[in-house]
Amino acid sequence: MTQELTFAVIIIGILHSGIRLATPYLYAGLGEMFDQRAGVLNLGVDGIMLMGAFFGFYAVYQTGNAWLGVAAAVLVGIVMGLLMAVVSISFQAEQGISGIGLYMFGLGLSSLLFKTMLGTVEGVQGFSELKFQITQNFSLYDIPIIGPIFFNHSVLTYGAFLLVPISAYVLNKTTWGLKIKAAGQNPEAADSLGVNVTTVRYMTVILGAALAGLAGASLSISLLNIFQENMTNGMGFIAVALVYFGSWRPYGVLAGALLFSTVNALQLWAQVLNLPIPSDVAVMLPYLLTIIALAMPFRRAAQPAALTRPFTRGDN
Amino acid sequence: MKKRYLLLSLLLIVALTLVACGGNAATKAPKPEPTKSSEAHPTKASEPPVASGEKFRVAVVLPSTITDMAWSQALIDSLKRIQEKMGGEDKMEIAYTENMWNVTDAASAIRDYADGGYNLVIAHGTQYGASLFEIAPDFPDTSFAWGTATDTGKDKGVENVFAYEARAEQGGFVLGVLASALDKTGVLGVVGPVEAGDAKLYIDGFAAGAKYDKPDVKVNISYTGSFGDTALAAEAANTHISAGADVLTGSAQQVVGAIGVAKEKGVLWIGTQSDQSSLAPDTVVASQIYVWDGPFQDMINKHMSGVMGGETYALTLENGGLVLKYADWADKDAVAKAEQVKQMIVDGDLNVMDVIEGKAAPAMSGDEVSTGATRFEYPAEIKPVRIVMVLPSTITDLSWSQSLYDSVKDLQDHYGKDVIDFAYTENMWNVTDAAAALRDYADSGYDIVIAHGAQYGDTLFELAPDYPDTSFAWGTTTNFGADEGVTNVFAYEPRADQGGYVLGVIAAKLTKSGVVGVVGPIDAGDAKLHVDGFVAGVHATKPDAKVNISFTGNFGDTSLAAEAANTQISAGADVLTGSAQQVVGAIGVAKDKGVPWLGIQGDQSSVAPDTVVATDLYDWRPTILAMIQARSGGVLGGKVLQLTLANGGQRMIYSDKLPADVVEAAKAAEKGIIDGSIEIKAEPR
Repeated sequence: MTQELTFAVIIIGILHSGIRLATPYLYAGLGEMFDQRAGVLNLGVDGIMLMGAFFGFYAVYQTGNAWLGVAAAVLVGIVMGLLMAVVSISFQAEQGISGIGLYMFGLGLSSLLFKTMLGTVEGVQGFSELKFQITQNFSLYDIPIIGPIFFNHSVLTYGAFLLVPISAYVLNKTTWGLKIKAAGQNPEAADSLGVNVTTVRYMTVILGAALAGLAGASLSISLLNIFQENMTNGMGFIAVALVYFGSWRPYGVLAGALLFSTVNALQLWAQVLNLPIPSDVAVMLPYLLTIIALAMPFRRAAQPAALTRPFTRGDN
Repeated sequence: MKKRYLLLSLLLIVALTLVACGGNAATKAPKPEPTKSSEAHPTKASEPPVASGEKFRVAVVLPSTITDMAWSQALIDSLKRIQEKMGGEDKMEIAYTENMWNVTDAASAIRDYADGGYNLVIAHGTQYGASLFEIAPDFPDTSFAWGTATDTGKDKGVENVFAYEARAEQGGFVLGVLASALDKTGVLGVVGPVEAGDAKLYIDGFAAGAKYDKPDVKVNISYTGSFGDTALAAEAANTHISAGADVLTGSAQQVVGAIGVAKEKGVLWIGTQSDQSSLAPDTVVASQIYVWDGPFQDMINKHMSGVMGGETYALTLENGGLVLKYADWADKDAVAKAEQVKQMIVDGDLNVMDVIEGKAAPAMSGDEVSTGATRFEYPAEIKPVRIVMVLPSTITDLSWSQSLYDSVKDLQDHYGKDVIDFAYTENMWNVTDAAAALRDYADSGYDIVIAHGAQYGDTLFELAPDYPDTSFAWGTTTNFGADEGVTNVFAYEPRADQGGYVLGVIAAKLTKSGVVGVVGPIDAGDAKLHVDGFVAGVHATKPDAKVNISFTGNFGDTSLAAEAANTQISAGADVLTGSAQQVVGAIGVAKDKGVPWLGIQGDQSSVAPDTVVATDLYDWRPTILAMIQARSGGVLGGKVLQLTLANGGQRMIYSDKLPADVVEAAKAAEKGIIDGSIEIKAEPR
């Protein structure tokens, strides 16, 4: 009666889980990457994610329309980003501290709103997993092995992966991307060449926060379809770490997110398969691997020179 | 560059604290503001125990939120019901702080609450214990409570602490039976937080219950390492479903993520701690709900009558602290089956902990053959006693010494440390050293001194007359010193020929080659009895089978025992048995070669669960209790105490790897030995 656990079933399970789990890390990580390339460290990602998760969820809960949920999450992300930008760019507050403040704010407010507006954990019908029905009898999902791994995810997951080349293009091939990098590398020089550093930083912080909001929504209306207080459980901080891991490059962030989530999927399977590893060690694996990868000497790419440094015109 | 690494380490620390350490939430404010009432804080000195008519004030420190649908919510729901019963907010105030995953913050919250004059301060988590015992003595007029725990701090001199626990394995067991009855694929999935506390109890119970109903069901368990990681819990649920599970369960607040997945994939969910059916009414087929009303109402009453602590509470199925709720669409037959098991637990006919620990043979499906053996029961009350053991090997030897240690430890766990106090010395293979140890122990006032080996006899008879109020015991022997004129020595003897005979029957049934092997230590004591019985059992079942016996001449030479096993297998043996602590070596070989092993003395299945197919376990509890009770009646020795199948001193454990007809034959042999229809005769060797 027991279903035979073939090697294929296990591999499909691990890879499918790994891809799906990477979704929130990708959105949040890529967004944070833009912030940092422009010279702003935003440690409030987790708080923004929670706000995005709550508003995304609440919009779907009220209207039943998943796309409205995405809009709500992005919108609340923009508001949170604006807050961060005002405090850390205009008022030039210490970025590390204001980020933590934003995190606390998002965590507390999303919990409070949850208690007053929902009161209990509820479920919604969010984005479901696509099967890519091509014809009546054929869907991409039916392709052996490849299908169940790659063609069975929600639209937000595909969006997250699509965002990687888009980010790379924006950063490396557009004028705006150049301005971002200049603002983060040498804001004074950029300013002397007519780049409005403050505007660029405002825009990237808001963009990053919008993506963080979307990351939260990917949890609450796509992966889990519920909202619970502090449901991100520190994912936002992992996302910040992934930016360092990925050396401030979109494909680096992708590699980090996939490594982290795949090892996480791997450890879950290791337990199910009853491999002789204590559960405590298994759950440690993803973090252990991340630390090892971070410690590798060849990863020492240059971080944006002006990261965490506020910019004032004519300051020098 | 430097700054980057500093920042990076900071980040990692924050991230790891939040995620890896099971942190389930963050504080909303670094410093909690516990007192929500506007009245001025009374000082602790002027705060008397609440008088009737006055408002009773309860404060709770919670590790997660009151809407977590799990651990914290269950408590708050109960407190609110008590509040209603007591007459609303005017009669009872409930203040709480959520998300206290940081123990230092929690400690300051606990102190603030106590300072604020609350009558009962509840620290709702095992992690708060250390802080509680530091704070409690400073506020003698305040009652404190914590759980899951059984320690009220009595031995630390703390008198105002209550402890509470949920025997989650009970409901878990019933729900495991339900799950396997509902299951169609043969696979169940469990999403656990960390392997500890009530989560571990629940999951152990669940797995045991599932296997109790259907021995071949597969229970896949994964722990997320966190209480609040909803996304990982969801992924774990997905993983279980990919692995074929069609009924899932799990615990802690993280499970809402898993329930969502269960709902989407159309598999069933079984909940625990709180009622989770509101989240997915068509998915949650049953829940175990913690009802804390009884314990906390009692704490409040006790506090009002001036008793500040010292009591331990446990939620059980019997006392109504654990409530099982089934969905009205749940399969009626499965629910009936679960309820039947629940009744057995409530009536005391089934001890879940024993099943989990493999002490009671699980049996529900299949015909239960009654063997007529006495089932072990704890006498309601025994006199406090101090026991000491001198052991020839270690308490982890999986055989002779461990079986005695485990039994005494079990009695202590049952009756408490103030009733059974014990000490032991291991590795006393040197008889002169043992003699010195025995005298030391007798000198320091132990009631029962056990010399656990036939080699200690001479010493004991020299010693015993000098300590007439002390009982001594030794074995394997039948000599209690009548010839020497001593009256305070017990002799004990495991009748290993009985269990050995049953194992022999099994060996004869299992062997295909017609050759079975024995790896013995020396041909004496219970090892000799074991071999005698084993040979008789084999030949009674299969007269032409060959039994090869090799003694290593040693109790502890593991490598030699391994070599012996190798040799036996080369000689054609396809079933092995053996005794003494050396056998772990032989079991390793048996495992490598795919040969079944029949164990005796201790339960050796942990070494090779698939290899050790049956065990004759020495259960010393009836023997120890017989000594304690004899002493209560003024008899200090002069008796032979036997461990037999009939009196429960030996217990057969059959693995689920054993074919049903073999178990049946073995049980028939047990029955025959107990009712006397089988007489075991040692063959000349």
